[in-house]
Amino acid sequence: MPQVRMLADGVRLVSEQTERFKTGRITVTAALPMDERMAANSLLIYLLKRSCKEYPDFSLLNGKLDELYGASLSAGVIKMGEAQALTLSMSFLEDRFALTDESIAEQSAELLANMLFSPCCENGRFSEESLAAEKRLMVQRIEEKLNDKRTYAFNKCIAHMCSNEAFGKDKYGTVEEIQAVSAQDVYSAWENMLATAVFQITVVGGAGTDRVADIFEKNFAKIERRPVKPETVFIQRGRHFNRYEESYPVTQGKLVIGFRAGIKNSRDNIHAVTVMNDIYGMGTYSKLFVNVREKLSLAYYCWSRLNAGKGLVLVEAGIDTDKEKKVSAEVLSQLSDLRNGKTDPEVLESSKRSLKERYTFTTPEDICSWYASQTLEDEIMTADDMIQGISEVTMEQVCDAAKKLSIDTIFMLKAQEEEAENDGD
Amino acid sequence: MEIKRITNERLGETVFCARHSSGLEVRVLPKEGYTSAYAVFGVKYGSIDTSVKNDSGEFETIPEGTAHFLEHKLFESEDLNAFERFAKTGASANAYTSFEKTAYLFKGSENIGESLEILLDFVQNPYFTQQTVEKEQGIIGQEIRMYQDLPDWQVMFNLLKALYKSSPVRIDIAGTQESIAKIDADLLYRLYGSFYNPANMVLSVVGGIDPQEVFDIVERCVKPVKGEASERKFVKESAKPVKKYVEENLSVAQKQFLLGYKEDIAEPLLALEDELASQVMLEAIAGKSSPLFKKLLDEELIDMGFGTELFNGFGFSCVMMGGTSADPEKTADIIRKEIKHIQSSGIDPAAFERAKRKLYGRMVMGYNDIDDTANLLMNLHFNGYEPFAELEVCKALTLEKAQQRLAVLKDGSSALSVISPIA
Repeated sequence: MPQVRMLADGVRLVSEQTERFKTGRITVTAALPMDERMAANSLLIYLLKRSCKEYPDFSLLNGKLDELYGASLSAGVIKMGEAQALTLSMSFLEDRFALTDESIAEQSAELLANMLFSPCCENGRFSEESLAAEKRLMVQRIEEKLNDKRTYAFNKCIAHMCSNEAFGKDKYGTVEEIQAVSAQDVYSAWENMLATAVFQITVVGGAGTDRVADIFEKNFAKIERRPVKPETVFIQRGRHFNRYEESYPVTQGKLVIGFRAGIKNSRDNIHAVTVMNDIYGMGTYSKLFVNVREKLSLAYYCWSRLNAGKGLVLVEAGIDTDKEKKVSAEVLSQLSDLRNGKTDPEVLESSKRSLKERYTFTTPEDICSWYASQTLEDEIMTADDMIQGISEVTMEQVCDAAKKLSIDTIFMLKAQEEEAENDGD
Repeated sequence: MEIKRITNERLGETVFCARHSSGLEVRVLPKEGYTSAYAVFGVKYGSIDTSVKNDSGEFETIPEGTAHFLEHKLFESEDLNAFERFAKTGASANAYTSFEKTAYLFKGSENIGESLEILLDFVQNPYFTQQTVEKEQGIIGQEIRMYQDLPDWQVMFNLLKALYKSSPVRIDIAGTQESIAKIDADLLYRLYGSFYNPANMVLSVVGGIDPQEVFDIVERCVKPVKGEASERKFVKESAKPVKKYVEENLSVAQKQFLLGYKEDIAEPLLALEDELASQVMLEAIAGKSSPLFKKLLDEELIDMGFGTELFNGFGFSCVMMGGTSADPEKTADIIRKEIKHIQSSGIDPAAFERAKRKLYGRMVMGYNDIDDTANLLMNLHFNGYEPFAELEVCKALTLEKAQQRLAVLKDGSSALSVISPIA
């Protein structure tokens, strides 16, 4: 059972003390609304990761991490429902493996707190030089999404499907928005984050949690907190079905079918919806794997993904472009079977066993991200709670959950014939 | 089976090793406080095995991609397929094929013994028909297509093709559409017989399981067939690359590059010490805290994804450095100059110590993960090392050794692979 404690208004500490691992992990999550500050927020988290007052230079900071036995530091931006969540995480060797008598965990927590509360700023602004460097990297990060066509198609389907909702926005903001951010904007995004974001500090490992808590508590005490909780709109039924397509000179086409899951919030009917999605297209016993891949050999991958934070289910498949109709017909026909109870009872049991394994975490990273993903939930749910809930799901509940799925948007990335070859230079 | 215990005191871990009468090597690392276990059953048969020794002792060429094809097919059986059997224990099963091996694995927290029996059983009992082989050609065909569109994958194989003339490391793991079309059920059975014998395999189990239980299951479930480890053909390549520069246009946003240095190796395999010394050397000269990394970043030539690796295996060894860049040729030029510069000035001792400390820390961290640990124990065995050998070798690394490994990087043996956006 994790310890849960409030360190300040809207700042929650969730910690799981364990001696099981050789590393500890701390994740700081700051959740903000998806508003006009998104681009500045994205740049902010990478600037915080780049340096801090104590290690004002990128190379010095990374040298410090190497000295901490290769402690790894990462920053990220994710959509948590319709919140933009900024994360800073560190994984580090447990103190008992250090070659000298030092606390790596404490040094890591101090370093994270330094990055968060004492960034490298002068006169109320981040350095223009660092900002320009991070802008370049961010633009690259956004443009690079085109390189992986599977993820690109997946995001494109969501962008079309949620074009009138905050969720349809890019998690980093657009290239234009990134370019327009000034050094002052990032500074005010920093002040805004410390004052208004909903924070969670998640700690896993043998480290003295109290010491880590003290470090963050002391720092947050200096800040006047007025947290704003981001809210997510759940649309329960797809309204107008739309199909979009784009063509690229690639060899494999990518099909993405977006459904509304028919849930009212991220915890609504969560156990049944999780099992339903698993039987539909997650496991090797799932309808999509068994039929689209194994029986019809139409794809190497064809799976469904549940995003409970926004109430979406997305089916993805890598296929020959001319097989789109055949594959989407099969995907829908399998959904119809799922709704009508045409599922072997043994598959329900397989799914429950498999999900139980999936929620039996074996690394500090897994445990940490499970809790961190609940930053905006009022109650912390343990993995055991989840497993228990799943074990009680009936076939009838699975069928009901499947009946609530409604198709909303299809996005097809078509493989076009390579023209480049004949063009010549 | 005679059981040998190997303990690493600082790590606080013990591996139990035994050799089954069939020649199968078994390694078990029980972990206290873990309910889950991860087991991997590996065979020394990968994509570089494009020839096999026949009955008359001669190497005979086989189609590319057979190891990977067999990996897909072994999950099938006359009755329930392996996935269906694992579904009953709850374990999640998978498999992968790399350049040098094929590995079958599962992870589970309940009925671990039962899952282990399924793992041993399905890998030892091949079953396929011409019809199921043809069905798989469709699935693998899509898998090959998927990889053809991945720029990271393409930039690497283009580099390998530029560096190596005849080594099979230059061929895609899954083979090609044409080569897999040549695969039929008879061939798969024959190759199964050649490679899948226990002396050519290892079982590695890590996590919440009693070693004795594993050994008992092995005694009960492993067929007492006698076999020999398969032999690989070593073709020594010239130190010169086939091409100095190779470029391909793909649907990408920015240019990507990989600069490779081919090592002139006299023996097919590198010593572990050389391997780790290269890793430390690369971290010291081009890691995130190095002057080179800073320079390239400041000049807007790379992003945080820039990385280096030593890429080695039977008959091949090269260093790869790369990422995304607006100007790959200029970037490669700066890297080449910096390497030459450090070759004469020497690696900064402080950078060496930092890099060594980082590698050591990351190795210890790796023992967290039951997946990583089981795969590590398997790989150490395939390369002829005892458990924990890597930690001891790392601790003993010297600056001189790193310097020697740096000297191996020669300009004349390098090649640059670039992926550019389609205009």
